[in-house]
Amino acid sequence: MIRVNERVLLCLSLTAAEPWPENATLYQPLKGEGFFSSSCSLYHLQTYLRMCGLPVQVVCRPNAEYMSPSGKIPFIHVGNQVVSELGPIVQFSKAKGHSLSDGLDDVQRAEMKAYMELVNNMLLTAELFIQWCDETTVSQITRHRYGTPYSWPLNLILAYQKQWEVRRKMNAVGWGGKTVDQVYEDVSQCCQALSQRLGTQPYFFKIPTELDALVFGHLFTILTTQLTNTELLERVRSYSNLLSFCRRIEQTYFESKDS
Amino acid sequence: MGLLVWILYGCFMCVLLFQAYSRFSGAKLTVSHIDWTWKTLTASSPELLCGESVVQEPAQILSFMRKQRFNADYELTARQGADTMAYIALLEEKLRPALLHTFWVDTENYTSLTRPWFASRSPFPLNFIVPSRLARMALSRILLTKGEAPLHRISEIEGKIYSDAKECLNLLSYRLGTANHFFGNSPTSLDAFVFGFVAPLHRASLPSSHLQSHLKQLENLTHFCDNILEVYFSSDHPCPPPLPPPAVQESMDANLQKLTQLVNKESNLIEKMDDNLRSSPQHKPHRLDPKPSLSSANSSTPA
Repeated sequence: MIRVNERVLLCLSLTAAEPWPENATLYQPLKGEGFFSSSCSLYHLQTYLRMCGLPVQVVCRPNAEYMSPSGKIPFIHVGNQVVSELGPIVQFSKAKGHSLSDGLDDVQRAEMKAYMELVNNMLLTAELFIQWCDETTVSQITRHRYGTPYSWPLNLILAYQKQWEVRRKMNAVGWGGKTVDQVYEDVSQCCQALSQRLGTQPYFFKIPTELDALVFGHLFTILTTQLTNTELLERVRSYSNLLSFCRRIEQTYFESKDS
Repeated sequence: MGLLVWILYGCFMCVLLFQAYSRFSGAKLTVSHIDWTWKTLTASSPELLCGESVVQEPAQILSFMRKQRFNADYELTARQGADTMAYIALLEEKLRPALLHTFWVDTENYTSLTRPWFASRSPFPLNFIVPSRLARMALSRILLTKGEAPLHRISEIEGKIYSDAKECLNLLSYRLGTANHFFGNSPTSLDAFVFGFVAPLHRASLPSSHLQSHLKQLENLTHFCDNILEVYFSSDHPCPPPLPPPAVQESMDANLQKLTQLVNKESNLIEKMDDNLRSSPQHKPHRLDPKPSLSSANSSTPA
């Protein structure tokens, strides 16, 4: 059984010498589907690739989740390689000679990895929780958005299946008994830590890194996604340096390139 | 103030963590080992009783102790507080799955160390239920947090969780450098967390573990654990000695072996009585483990 990592390493040894092709394609599900997690990782990946200066074309497919070799989105199609998930894609681009964290020393790299795990541990879990475990959000928004690309009764079946899966995961990490307010509190704590770490600097380290791309992906998604109430939005908005950080990255990497 | 911690043997890394934390912050903590109550079946992690209030879950106990003015983090700046949160998340995400796997899922370690250790501390009927139940919980936690949705098979993610854990240990080692503590000259809650996660791996005598041999190469981390054990857990310290694995490992070993043999014989008998239990498919992975002892037990107990 070839694991994803091994597959990537195989790609690396085969294609390390080849440059990044012009026709690289990033596949994502339809806009709005599975709204939180997928758009977070999409923004994260796009920001990362733009920070590296790698061109990529975005293509929307409703069944992107099932096209991906590991069943996770987003994934990219580069030359004759298909690489899915953020970690392997970052490794893949590193093998092509594009890396953001090369300028950091070992201690800084440790710090970067630690903050990335903080975001994954708190923000990602909180987003999943609000999206799939808060009954109002599930019934008013999530189920509908997740099921849109499919016809009845598949839309309901897949949404319930996904909800069941997320709940099992929440129970496993000890979030099963949490209330929505406790989750908002966790998001606040996480944002506070990020805000204190960022301080008045333009980026988390001297140069833009994977961490900046990841934090931007999550915060930008929270700031631009409509939910049943604005509590989550307000919590994030109260940290002014994080807001200006998001604005700065959006202007630098998205607006100038799109225009 | 007398604080009482009920330790349910679910996660001894948590227990070490609290003991370390309470010693750093100067709280008087009475550790009471539960090994006879049925609560072990229903309750989850360690539990802190203080007067009327009951607190569960590691993070909540720490914040409770902080509210009661037992704080090891007074001297930290806001930025260091943020770093603490980040590194704790790193430990939880990267190191915990591999530790759970090493102690609970790896068949060799589980049958020769974890299972006998837990079974010897539970009374008769529970010693058959508690270890395998905890192992099942550990396995499902790894699969649900790290596994890939449609298949959820352990063999596919083993490589990934171990390489993640090794990377995490390397990062911690870089961060610690040549210092004795992570921040400044006194231990903080991050030191307690790292100690709680790394010390069991450092001191337990595991029959098979790449992770342990990897840790042995990182001298500053092993020195960090030894140092905390020596300063805060040695016998001349006023607090009682911690759980057996680190300090009294050697003297325990002989007893442990006797107990292991006893437990294996007992479980062998029970298994003979209840074949149905073993034949149900969801029990198979866990029921496999007493098998290595079958031959030895058979030879000493004529059927």
